[in-house]
Amino acid sequence: MEALNYAWIVVALPLLAAAVIAVFGKLMPLKGSEVGIAAITGAWVLSLVIGWQTFVNGPVDALEQVFWSSPMGGAFTIEFGQYVDGLTAMMLVLVTTVSMLVQLYSREYMHGEDRFTYFFSMLALFTFSMLVLVIAPNTLQAVVGWELVGLCSYLLIGYYWQDKPNADAANKAFLTTKFADIGLIVGVVVLSAGVAQHSNNVFSIPETIDLAMGGQLSELTVVLGTLMIFLGAMGKSGQMPLHVWLPDAMAGPTPVSALIHAATMVTAGVFFVARLYPVFIQYATVMNVIAVVGVITLFFAGFLALVQDDVKKVLAYSTVSQLGYMMAALGVGGYTAGIFHLFTHGFFKALLFLGSGSLIHAVHSNNMSDMGGMRKYMPVTFVTFVIGSLALAGFPLTAGFFSKDEILVSAQLWGDAGMATGPLVYWLGLAGAMVTTFYMGRTVFLIFFGEHRGAHGAAHDVETVEDVHAEAEAGVLDAEAEAEDAAQAAHDVQGGHHDPHESGWQILTALVALAVFSFPVGMAGGFLWDEVGGSTEQNFETWTATHAIEEAQYPFLPGYHAPGGEEHGEEGASEGEGGEAEDPEAAGSGSIVLASGEDLSGPLAAESGDEEGFSNHVLHGAPEFHLDVFLLALAGFLIAVGGAWAIYGRGRPERDPTLHMGGFTTALVNKYWLDDLGYRFVVVPIRDRLAPAVSWSSNVLIDGVVKSIGGGVKRLANVTYFTVDQKIIDGGVNGAALSAAWWSSKLKRLQSGDVQRYAGAMMAGVIVLVIAFAAAR
Amino acid sequence: MTLIGPLVLASFLFCVGLYGVIARRNSVLVLMSVELMLNAVNINLVAFQSLLHGDDAAVTGQIFALFVIVVAAAEVGIGLAIVFNMFRNRASIDIDDADLMRW
Repeated sequence: MEALNYAWIVVALPLLAAAVIAVFGKLMPLKGSEVGIAAITGAWVLSLVIGWQTFVNGPVDALEQVFWSSPMGGAFTIEFGQYVDGLTAMMLVLVTTVSMLVQLYSREYMHGEDRFTYFFSMLALFTFSMLVLVIAPNTLQAVVGWELVGLCSYLLIGYYWQDKPNADAANKAFLTTKFADIGLIVGVVVLSAGVAQHSNNVFSIPETIDLAMGGQLSELTVVLGTLMIFLGAMGKSGQMPLHVWLPDAMAGPTPVSALIHAATMVTAGVFFVARLYPVFIQYATVMNVIAVVGVITLFFAGFLALVQDDVKKVLAYSTVSQLGYMMAALGVGGYTAGIFHLFTHGFFKALLFLGSGSLIHAVHSNNMSDMGGMRKYMPVTFVTFVIGSLALAGFPLTAGFFSKDEILVSAQLWGDAGMATGPLVYWLGLAGAMVTTFYMGRTVFLIFFGEHRGAHGAAHDVETVEDVHAEAEAGVLDAEAEAEDAAQAAHDVQGGHHDPHESGWQILTALVALAVFSFPVGMAGGFLWDEVGGSTEQNFETWTATHAIEEAQYPFLPGYHAPGGEEHGEEGASEGEGGEAEDPEAAGSGSIVLASGEDLSGPLAAESGDEEGFSNHVLHGAPEFHLDVFLLALAGFLIAVGGAWAIYGRGRPERDPTLHMGGFTTALVNKYWLDDLGYRFVVVPIRDRLAPAVSWSSNVLIDGVVKSIGGGVKRLANVTYFTVDQKIIDGGVNGAALSAAWWSSKLKRLQSGDVQRYAGAMMAGVIVLVIAFAAAR
Repeated sequence: MTLIGPLVLASFLFCVGLYGVIARRNSVLVLMSVELMLNAVNINLVAFQSLLHGDDAAVTGQIFALFVIVVAAAEVGIGLAIVFNMFRNRASIDIDDADLMRW
């Protein structure tokens, strides 16, 4: 496992690249992009090695190393280090793969842009931030990475800050996630406060998990802490209603969108929930909240994609919807399913975004109404985009198919265990999958089929010519394409039409690589893994399983055995249903659940679902083929894709039915009025009430207090100086001196030098003494 | 014979001397007044010795008076020398003029 020791290099390389690019980038022949790509390639190779080592070894013990720690007061310390297990390795592979391809892609896509070097520096920093979060051994480091991710996303979404809407989008993304981050911080603090009663390493993730699994944290701590952390995850992972920033984040360059949506930003929330999963599963309340939020998100966000014309917004809402799937999966006990979907989604969503970027690059428009018939012009983009769409829609044998099936199976098992959210996720998940298929079908047909609808207006042509000249000035790499462009531009000047053309090799490499990845990444976690040469000892589940996850059980479900071997009181009556449908040993997991119902399998068995034999384990064992799920999903897919073909297959209909659904369309076009509600009830009150109030309290109240304190002190100082110092102290000193002088001027007369007078005084004194003594006798 | 006669005489002499010391301006007269006071003391010494301790062979009072006379002679010598020098410096023996030791 020696490569695991060097996981920190994966994190350090992008940081190094970001720094080097920022300082020296402009001096380099390729403007710094070579540094970024070289660094991320190195990180990618190392990630693959780490990923491979953790994969073939099955569930590995997490490697925890602390590189730097600082006392925080008392016995507490702040630590920075690495925590490497299968989950970390999976994220490392995902993040570095997507980042590498995105950087390669950006070389072409961002060519000739202002701040090209800055862009690459930020991409590297973005990757670094996410890796810091991924590798964090404690929640504090995770928060650091989390916030860095937020910062980088802000900078990159606002990359075209010259236009105000883009800067606004960046602000919106930042403020929305920052609002959610309040929850994250509170949650982390609450959990650490609970841990602090048992351990000095209060932020440590493994310690938190151990204590939570041992039931040593109070219910309030766990529920409040996890729900607050989940609030943070909602913001970062775009769960409704905090998803509003995600579509607006499309204002950034397309590679950034791909990075945000696939690897480095929105996955953070899901990842963090997965990382602390054994804590989240302690209470049914928490699980239900996660499941309900997830299912709402997956179901309602999908519809929003139906009415979008901007291809990137379609993809953005689809991301929101898919994130809903991940959260819902986590909420119904589908730990593996959730992160499996996170993993596969990363690849095909990056593919889709990069494909849409390729299209946008070609037609200079985000709108599908400006595209159409693109498969003739851009065959490679077409094929890869279709592969990505199929994966997203869950077409059999693609990555999305396996992961979405896993989610539905998890929901089924959860329902069998008697949890109401199971069927909810199952049926709404199926419906959501249909919606997904439909809008992806609509997108693909609108973009690639029918006739090209590129704008023919003179104004647009002039713009195109300018674009081409701008490219020419910037010196586009591809000389042939450039010549072609110039010819077309000349053609345009004569009133002709500028046909889109296929992108260059760097964009296509990224597209093809991701399209190829979209298959094997799904295999590892799917039920066909055995068939294609894998083994149940080594699949996605065993890869991402940690020992804590293996031993984790749901305390609120039947069949729970307290870690000490005692039966859990409230559910003890129905224990012993574990591990019948799948053999935990076969899944490579060391089960501690008793294999059979011992004594109470009769009437109680029914209520705990004995036919399916629900295992009270987070892991479900190796995936199996579920015919019902498969058929339902496939039927849904076919219906949806058939419907999409019927409506959009022959080009863009005059009357797009999604835009004519009455009130529903109105609701969708207005995004369920969530943005308006947010504007009216969050932005406006904050801007018009809270902000002025805060400003007033700062400028008038606090400044007033400070000012009056300052004035008071100054006055006091004046009084002290003029009265106490000048008058009393100086007066005393001077008065003493003056009185001494005055007295001396009087008393010195006594010393007249007249001896006779002295004698007389002495005589008088003697007489006085004699009289005094005589009187005293 | 009683002590009253010599004591009255001595008191008289002492008072005259004291007056002379305090009141006279002439330095020489001041010196003389001091001699008067010393002699008044001498009278006392001799009178007390002979009238109270007449049978004492040691005659301490008289011997003490002799010492006083010797010391007075030396003192007058020094005093006159001072007066002499004062006269040489200031052409005056008025004691009011000798007030250098003042503020």
